[in-house]
Amino acid sequence: MRTKILAVLCLASGLWLARNLYVIFLTMGDEAAQGAIYRIIYFHVPSWITCFTAFFVAGVSSVLYLVRKNSRFDTLAVATVEAGVVFTIVGLVTGSIWGRIIWGIWWTWDPRLTWALITCVIYSGYLMLRHAIDDPTARAKNSAVLCIFSFTSVIITYKAIDWWRTQHPGPVLSFRTGGGNIDPAMEHMLFQNLGALLLLCAAIVVVRMRQEDMQREVEALRRYAHAL
Amino acid sequence: MDSRNFTYMFYGFAAAWLILALYVLSLAARERRLRRELDSVKRMIEDRETRKQV
Amino acid sequence: MLYFRQVWTVAGKDLRSELRTKESLNAAISFAIVILVLFSFAMDPTADQIREISGGLLWLVFAFAGALILNRSFARELGNDCLDALVSSPLTGSALFLGKALGNFILLTIVELVSLPIFGVLYNIEWARRPRALAAILLLTTWGVTVIGTMFSALTVNLRLRELMLPTLIYPMMIPALMSAMRLTTLLIAGEPIPADDEIWVRLLIGFDIIFTALAVGLVEVVLVG
Repeated sequence: MRTKILAVLCLASGLWLARNLYVIFLTMGDEAAQGAIYRIIYFHVPSWITCFTAFFVAGVSSVLYLVRKNSRFDTLAVATVEAGVVFTIVGLVTGSIWGRIIWGIWWTWDPRLTWALITCVIYSGYLMLRHAIDDPTARAKNSAVLCIFSFTSVIITYKAIDWWRTQHPGPVLSFRTGGGNIDPAMEHMLFQNLGALLLLCAAIVVVRMRQEDMQREVEALRRYAHAL
Repeated sequence: MDSRNFTYMFYGFAAAWLILALYVLSLAARERRLRRELDSVKRMIEDRETRKQV
Repeated sequence: MLYFRQVWTVAGKDLRSELRTKESLNAAISFAIVILVLFSFAMDPTADQIREISGGLLWLVFAFAGALILNRSFARELGNDCLDALVSSPLTGSALFLGKALGNFILLTIVELVSLPIFGVLYNIEWARRPRALAAILLLTTWGVTVIGTMFSALTVNLRLRELMLPTLIYPMMIPALMSAMRLTTLLIAGEPIPADDEIWVRLLIGFDIIFTALAVGLVEVVLVG
């Protein structure tokens, strides 16, 4: 059953991404000022929204773990954090390449970029902490606490463009500006790719959760073998 | 399509796909390793249990 | 009332044992001085340059020296299973945490009060031109830093790689507070008022203190007891 769901998820996200690529390259028009490079927005913004979503789910499931003490939530938290870190890196790299053309530099220390990088570092720290603790219960408990603390950096990253005057462009999408900053057709395409990336992220999370279960089984069997 | 900045757009998309592909590959590698570990631990337990019975 | 007495008892216990042995205090102060001296060799800055980077330099020194104090905070209770005794005592987890945080706060403030005049003398800088605002920023940031540090000290106390994990986890977490402090301290040491444009940093600092104190007080029970 789970394998079937996973196969459907993978297939759907793959097809959707392929179709989006076709539309982005062959039917979407160019942006007046930026030329071809603006197309990076269709990957850059959706991958950031995907990683914020993943970290949000991780935060919620960490809280749920602390309330319910059910290891399923811990499994969900680690899977979403790992997927989130991957999408954070995609967002950082695509942003950097875009910045190379638009600003002439790969990187600048403006608040949005700085906090995006800090978020990446903090959540990598979460993954490192998990490696450093052997006992499964202590690992789940301590990393859940860390995950809740970490979510503050996501909030700061999200709000940075409102709080400071940044080199990074301010809010563009209509749900934050009330509309008028982006061509509706482009925004529609952007959300199409967001949907595809979210599906891909979900597929990754399912795979990762299954692996975490396997990891737990291996650890439990090892303990049993030692006891024999 | 406008040819300005076309190469960098290509780099951007290639980088995004490459990162995702690398991660998926690492997931596949971990899956293989975990299955192998699971098999070996299970074999070890069977081994010990049979020896105990003898 | 009882709660505050408990907090104060824990803080007093930590301070007494620290001030008697001066284990981490001596290490932290001498470490701070060494960095201040090394920095002048490394960069050979002029007075103007130093004034421009004073906030950054000072807070790097305080943050690194602070890690030495924070590392010991819960680790000192490991011997003779003192931590288990503390957890099983009638103290609530949050009182224990706040007491430890208060103790660390006072110790780190001592380090800062010792290093600031030394910084002034070594780099020939008159640093106390806006003493009240500077003191407020110092105390606010020090509290933020110690809350995060004490919480993560509790989180990592049972790890094999404690000394390695603590700094890797706390520094990224502290960045909002440190960034605000660096910027504001530079302004205040130069004797300038805080411009309206930079008030966001003051707000960020206060928000950081409130949010993380609340989070830590709420979650520390889970970390210590489970």
